[in-house]
Amino acid sequence: MSALLVVEDLSRRFGGLTAVSGLSFDVREGEVLGLIGPNGAGKSTTFNVISGFYRPTSGRLSFRGEDITGLSASAISRRGLVRTFQHGSLLRDMSVHDNILIGALRAVRDRRERQRRIQETAELLGLGQLLDTTAGSLPHGHQRMLSIAIAVAARPALLCLDEPLTGLNSTEIAAALAIMARIRQEFATTIMLVDHNMRAVMRICDRIIVLNHGRKLAEGTPTEIRNDPEVIRAYLGDDQ
Amino acid sequence: MHSGSDEAVASSALGPPLGRSRARAGPLLTALAAAAVLAFALLTPDEYDQHLLMWVALNAVLAVGLRFVLLVGETNIGTGAFYGMGAYAAAVCTVNFALPFPVALLAGGAVATAASAAFGLVTLRTKGPYFMLISFAFTEVTRLIYTRINYLGGNSGIIGVFPPQALDPWLPALTVLLCGVLVLALYVCERSDLGRVFRAIENNDAVVETVGINVVSVKLLCLVLASFAVGVAGALHAHIFNVISPGDFSYLVPVFALAYVKIGGDSHVLGAVLGAALLTLVAQALEGAGALEQILFGAAIVAAMLLLPDGLWGAGRRLLRLPKR
Repeated sequence: MSALLVVEDLSRRFGGLTAVSGLSFDVREGEVLGLIGPNGAGKSTTFNVISGFYRPTSGRLSFRGEDITGLSASAISRRGLVRTFQHGSLLRDMSVHDNILIGALRAVRDRRERQRRIQETAELLGLGQLLDTTAGSLPHGHQRMLSIAIAVAARPALLCLDEPLTGLNSTEIAAALAIMARIRQEFATTIMLVDHNMRAVMRICDRIIVLNHGRKLAEGTPTEIRNDPEVIRAYLGDDQ
Repeated sequence: MHSGSDEAVASSALGPPLGRSRARAGPLLTALAAAAVLAFALLTPDEYDQHLLMWVALNAVLAVGLRFVLLVGETNIGTGAFYGMGAYAAAVCTVNFALPFPVALLAGGAVATAASAAFGLVTLRTKGPYFMLISFAFTEVTRLIYTRINYLGGNSGIIGVFPPQALDPWLPALTVLLCGVLVLALYVCERSDLGRVFRAIENNDAVVETVGINVVSVKLLCLVLASFAVGVAGALHAHIFNVISPGDFSYLVPVFALAYVKIGGDSHVLGAVLGAALLTLVAQALEGAGALEQILFGAAIVAAMLLLPDGLWGAGRRLLRLPKR
């Protein structure tokens, strides 16, 4: 598998605080990569830098072989790297249809093609019957799926999901994981996700990167990560 | 649109499909009302009525222009500055260069467009109260600049801005028509995909940015489109009142426009038009009341905010049980 996104020696400081320090990793074409770590480990900062919401203090990002360091969020998105936000950001006052339309607008120019894409995306995320509903009045689980639908409507090469499972019940989590598997399969989308639900992350990810204090602590398959003494120490403390 | 099934549900619950037929009648009624106003403008011999009508038309464009930028979530007090620039540019074309009237109108629109593009490029990276304050300062600074430029007549402004004499009997109708076209053009933009992007930005600009849309560029486009309309209205203002001075283009212009929008109702473009018409007529009736006029205006704004959350438009819609869009 070739690398889709290459992160080299990435650092981001906020005043005196170093949120991410010397982080290097790559995201390989077609995989599901998990980014985990305790609170404050730098997961969200990493996401924000990769997606162009923060500029890196130092380091280099390349996506599909092109240097994207310092590009704006919209410019990075147009190159095929699309993210979602924690708490499932969406356009609350607009219909489900119009939410997904906004996601597809830049990616699909032809109106009929776009309409097909909206329908297809809505159905994949279980929102096919809710196109006329106002986004803000959807139940929580559907809102989460809609925030992913907006991103998926752009058919990104790399979909970055920031805590997609937080606040979902076990049925909804199972459904969300099945949907992620379908997104990956049907649209050949590479997925990178941050989440606190270890069991779910272990289940869906091909590889996992563990961050701690802004640095990479471990990298490997779920089994390797589960048995890594460094990871166990970071999560459970030294005495364990 | 996609409220189709909502309407169907609502109307089946009401028995006969009242909501739907009334909603369909909307464009027809609006066109009829516009035609009636136009006919009145053509036929009324009373100069006072003619002036009042033109004033309403200009204020409607101001309200709709202000509301247009509200679609992306920004309160553009710069509306006053762009109105003034349109007026001054057109006045200079007519008085100093004796250029044809249509050229003066277009020049008003063009200058306001160019100025708003430069202004927006610098300021639209801010939003909310920051943008509002900057745009407020911009309007006041441009007003002060006019007073210092002798070429623009300083404090006394420019006098003798007349439209061509042959146009005299047609001016009210032409003003109503042009203002109507400007309002309609902005409404068409609002109902397009571009308008959906505007609303999306107002909802959550970060989401819009993540799907590859450059939010600042879209906001800039929104500001520029609104400013063109406001600039043309300013150019008309100069030729209707024949005299302009810096005091005509203070922050009060957009603040009144905001009152039109809020009292008329900001959920629909016709709410802004309705508010402009009503408040302009009320202001006229209160003319000579001095400070009382402003006190009553302020009270009306407060009352509308408290009692009519979606203005008169929303109240009327609820009364007729019309669907929201």
